[in-house]
Amino acid sequence: MIETRDLVASRGETRVLDGLDLTIEDGEFVLLVGPNGAGKTTLVRQFNGLEEPDAGEVLVDGRPVQEDLVAARTAVGMVFQDPRDQFVAATVRADVAFGPENLGLTHDEIDRRVADALETVGMDGRGDERIDRLSGGEQARVAIAGALAMAPDHLVLDEPLASLDLPARRAVRDRLERLHDDGTGIVLVTHDLRDVAELADRIVVLSDGRVALDGDPDAVRDRLEAFDVRPC
Amino acid sequence: MLSYEPGATVAHALDPRTKLAFQAGFAVAAFAYTTPHGLAVLSVLALAPLAAARRSALAAAWDLRFAFPILLAAPLFEGVVLGPPWFSLAQARFPALASYRVVLLLFVSAAYVYTTSARDSRAAIQWLVPGRPGRFLGLGVAVVFRFLPVLVADLQRARAAMRARLGTERPLAERIRIVTTAGLRRVDARADALSLALQARCVAWNPTLPRLALGRRDVPVLALALALTLSPLL
Amino acid sequence: MTRTSRDVDELVPPVDPSAPVSLTEVFNWVDGREEGNDTEPVTHGGTAVSTDTEDVDLVDAAVVENLGRVALFAALMGAFAYVSFPNPFSPAPVTLQVLGVFLAGIFLGPVWGGVSIGLYLAAGALGAPVFSGGSAGLAPLVGSTAGYLWSYPIGAFVVGAIVHGGLSVGDPREAGLIHLVGSMVAGTAVVYAMGVAGLMLVLGLGPVAAFMAGAAAFIPAEAFKIAAAVGIVRSDAFVAE
Repeated sequence: MIETRDLVASRGETRVLDGLDLTIEDGEFVLLVGPNGAGKTTLVRQFNGLEEPDAGEVLVDGRPVQEDLVAARTAVGMVFQDPRDQFVAATVRADVAFGPENLGLTHDEIDRRVADALETVGMDGRGDERIDRLSGGEQARVAIAGALAMAPDHLVLDEPLASLDLPARRAVRDRLERLHDDGTGIVLVTHDLRDVAELADRIVVLSDGRVALDGDPDAVRDRLEAFDVRPC
Repeated sequence: MLSYEPGATVAHALDPRTKLAFQAGFAVAAFAYTTPHGLAVLSVLALAPLAAARRSALAAAWDLRFAFPILLAAPLFEGVVLGPPWFSLAQARFPALASYRVVLLLFVSAAYVYTTSARDSRAAIQWLVPGRPGRFLGLGVAVVFRFLPVLVADLQRARAAMRARLGTERPLAERIRIVTTAGLRRVDARADALSLALQARCVAWNPTLPRLALGRRDVPVLALALALTLSPLL
Repeated sequence: MTRTSRDVDELVPPVDPSAPVSLTEVFNWVDGREEGNDTEPVTHGGTAVSTDTEDVDLVDAAVVENLGRVALFAALMGAFAYVSFPNPFSPAPVTLQVLGVFLAGIFLGPVWGGVSIGLYLAAGALGAPVFSGGSAGLAPLVGSTAGYLWSYPIGAFVVGAIVHGGLSVGDPREAGLIHLVGSMVAGTAVVYAMGVAGLMLVLGLGPVAAFMAGAAAFIPAEAFKIAAAVGIVRSDAFVAE
């Protein structure tokens, strides 16, 4: 479970989050939407302690994030916008293994996790390939596998679909749907609800550093246009 | 371009530390025995790693072609004498042997590059340099392997964009400045993104290192490496 | 500790202290986790459960940022091997490697600039195709290019130390033009002096032949790189943090 309480955070001199309260339960599929500059990226970087709050609290499973960064970062896996910048190794298997290696797991456990994660994203059998020779959609899936190998309760994706063409988007979307069916919580930051709205349990709209709308997709759908979000 | 290709040859299966030790031993012997006899023996030894990697020496020579002009030029330059007979074979002799020795070294290290993944090399370096310095080195080397093709593409894009805007008519220093500035900007942006990604994946000082284990087949190669290293004492 | 060997892909049984230690074990024991050596991940029936988070020694955020920048700069230095411009004065094309050395000293300072170029050499030695002509491996570090390659980290240090007037890193735009140009002239001198010395040592050339083969045709082009570097520092297009 991820909770923020009265969260205040800035980017440089600008206050981006202004007393934000939000609770995300385990297993929930949440779409986080809102106009540019609404604070979506800043918010999700608070979830696993990549940025620190000015005031207020962020709790993962009831514990303040900054108290145990490793626990927060294993519970909340992150996938960033441009997959190219988040690979640490030149080949698929070596990159997906990076997270579990940092956790000090045994070789057998690392191998098992890498194999599972690659299978989940449909990249099994391609562990020895060079990442720079993969397509954009395949790179996005390997980036997701890298986060999954940490065995997170929640997978947070910050606009992972923005740069993909339609078939690649669909492939990633289908993988997310299956992950959610298997019980992983998903937080998808997006400004484009096509294809994904029907997967979500809940849509959260940020505006001016606060939660402006929060509810199930059917209830929220008609009111999205006021927030510069392309409806479904 | 020399680079690693996955495979299942004998050379692929050797421990990276064994392959590093062989290269070091070979270099020592090549510098100690830069004589026609010594180099003849070493020539056979230099072809063995390529054979074990199932690579042809000709293909390797093509990959190494940029190194050859200076190696050919060296004995020619040194053999030149002012006045008849204008060229002294005696003066050119040692540089010719020395150049040949470098060719052998290039072949041996090409076999390493063809058959050793970045991950294996990183494991070897972290074994060689323990503690935090080794971890820093290992991570840094991994990042260079990963981002080299990305930045080459960035520079090529910058160059193409410059050409498209008639940039070829600008002075040379200006063209260098434009391409380099683009590269530095990309480094800056990518470094910020990479640093976040490393932290999100719990980058630690004390990770589980990739498997490294000496097998039976490493033993003879290690013994040979040791013999080569000690050969100057003979 | 549980390790698997390449030949026998199964768990190695715990080492009996009275048994003779094999070569494999000698090589592997150092390679274990540096801290918390006696806290192996808990295993149940062969599958490890999640680690105790306290055992993970996270790298500080500031160090991670530094590492990312220094390593990416090393990769840029490698990418420079793939960019060349026709040389107006010589058939040898102008490559940007030496410019990379200048920029490392200027933007990263003497220490981190030197470390960055050191990483470049290490990655090349281990097989990243970052040396001139896309070459790689240990051989370039002991072959005809040895002198130039080993001079690069020293050159970056010298350039950085002169531009920043010491070991700390400031804003390179505050350095005067004379300091800036002087640092790169000194850097060029280091690179070619060591490069020529390398040719003499490795190829057995005399000083004149080595200079003709390894420096005469290349040094004039350094002026373009120095001019370009001054342009980069002076323009606000790229501001180092």
